[in-house]
Order: sequence, then C-alpha cells, then structure tokens
Amino acid sequence: MKFSIFRFDPDKDRKPYMQDYEIELESTDRMLLDVILRIKMQDDSLSIRKSCREGICGSDAININGRNGLACVTSVSNLKEPVVLRPLPSFPVIRDLVVDMTQFFKQYHSIRPYVVDDEPMPEKERLQSPEDREKLDGLYECILCACCSSQCPSYWWNPDKFVGPAGLIQAYRFIIDSRDRATKERLDDLNDVYRLFRCRTIMNCTEVCPKGLVPSRAIEMIRLMLVKDSL
Amino acid sequence: MSATLTGLRAWLVQRVSAVFMLLFIVFLLAHFLFDRPRSYFAWRDWMLGPWVSIAAMIFFAALIVHAWVGLRDVVLDYVHPVAARVFVLALLGLGVTAVGVWVFRILLLQRA
Repeated sequence: MKFSIFRFDPDKDRKPYMQDYEIELESTDRMLLDVILRIKMQDDSLSIRKSCREGICGSDAININGRNGLACVTSVSNLKEPVVLRPLPSFPVIRDLVVDMTQFFKQYHSIRPYVVDDEPMPEKERLQSPEDREKLDGLYECILCACCSSQCPSYWWNPDKFVGPAGLIQAYRFIIDSRDRATKERLDDLNDVYRLFRCRTIMNCTEVCPKGLVPSRAIEMIRLMLVKDSL
Repeated sequence: MSATLTGLRAWLVQRVSAVFMLLFIVFLLAHFLFDRPRSYFAWRDWMLGPWVSIAAMIFFAALIVHAWVGLRDVVLDYVHPVAARVFVLALLGLGVTAVGVWVFRILLLQRA
C-alpha cells in the first residue's frame, strides 16, 4: 500500500515536505493506525501522537486523504491510494503529524467545562432525573480530538475568537445540564460577534466527527435558546 | 450600526430579512407570470399602489440590512489587521448607505 506522509522537523527542515512510503499490508492490519505504527518501525523518525488506539482518547486525529479522522478507527481497506496523511489543518505543526492544540484547549476552557453551582453542597450528590440525563446524550461523548474544529473554515479564520464546534458542543452540554446554575451567564458569554456567531452552518464539523456527533445541531440549539431568551 | 447589530440580533435580522425577501421575490415572480402588466404605465401604477410600494420599500430596507450583515461577516473572517478592517468596513458602510439612499430616492421620486 502506498502512503504519502507530511514530514516536518523544525530542527532540521526549513520547509515541510511529503514523503512516500510503501508497505505490504498484513492480515493483522485493520485500522490505519496499525499501518502507521508499522511504517514507524521502518522509519522511526516519523512522529505521531496516539494513546488508547481505540477511538476513546482522541489523540491520533489527523487529516486522512483530505478528511479529518482518527487513525485508530479508520479502516485501511476503504482508503484510496496513495493515502495522503497530513496534520490537522490550520493547527501549528510541532513535528510531522503532531500539532499544537494550545489554542484549541484555550477555547475549550473558555466555556467553563464544568457544572457551575454555588448553592451549598448536598449531603450526598447532585441528583438528576433520567430524563434530564438523557439530554446529555450525543454531547457528553465528545472526546476533544479536534477533528471538527480543525475542519471548520470559520475556526481557521478566527481560532482565537470563535469558540469552534468542539467548544460549542461542550458549551451546550453544560447549558442544558439540569444541575448547572449558570445557564444565563453561559448564554450571555456566547452572544457576541465572534464566540458563537462566526458559525456559518458549513457543517464540516458534523461531516467529519469520528464519534458521529452533531456539533452543528448543538450550535443551532444554543441559537434557539438565545432567541427564546431575548424575545 | 455595528454597535447594536451584533451577535444574536445580527443573526436574527439576517434570517428575518432573508425570509421577507424570499416571500416578496416569489410574490413578484408570481405577479409577472400570472398577471403580467400590459404596459410600463400599468406596471408603474401597480408598483405605486399602497401595499406594493410599502412592501417594496421594506424589501429594499431588508436587502440593505441583509447585505450589511453578510458583507461585514466576510470582512470579520478575512480582514484581520485593525486599520485595514476599519477602512474596509467604513468603505462598505458608505457603499451600502449610498445604495440605500439611492434606492429610496428613486422610490420616493417615482411617487411625485
């Protein structure tokens, strides 16, 4: 199988370049990550980030044939050759396929990703009805792999000001959490020119999410809540 | 304009103006298809009728606000240096305002 992989080592290379690799597939090669790790055995200078290798940790998000995805849950048999692997678009490259996610996590932290409740702590725990818990389905599964934000043109142009689809699906996860007491502040915080409203409903986020989540729907729901709130 | 027309309000204004423009365009098309004015003067009288002329004015107001929000969005995406942004936004604001004044001048002069 033929591969063309983005290479860049800031200590050695002045410019990034694409390097070709060819590797015989073995019967144990199911997912792209398996093959990348075997390529790394041929050429140990190739850098990639990975951890759980089963789509839970979100660390091996890369751009595969132009489309963001997790290497560990992308089946090799469906890939068109040569397989072109690049780091996540628009994120600063640290080395090869490893990108700097500082800005991405800054946006994530800006939405206060935790339940805010200043009332006195109950004796045991803050309870939630099964119906209220169900509202978090399709939101809490986000693993912050950044596939969506890195494929979002609005995020490309304003990564410092637009929260991005990953941050916004997380924001909605806390906005509709029945235990959270800061719903109004959360909505107000998103209501400016940039933080939410740079979204132009391009929907690349939903298209590429490896967990099958729908950030564009979460964004729509936040907009609707803002509308209800203001009318 | 930009001081108040941001965030949710700009987004809402964009949607509402779009819906109004769509309805008005469909109405115009239907009129020209099924009840075509026979002459320029017939068309002019029709346009100057109270309902049509008010709807036309609202249409152009919606068009101008819609254009402003949309074009400003493009500038916010692509023009990042503050000085360049101020300049381009001012230019756009001027252009959109000029077009608006021009349209209303025509609409009101027709009336006389």
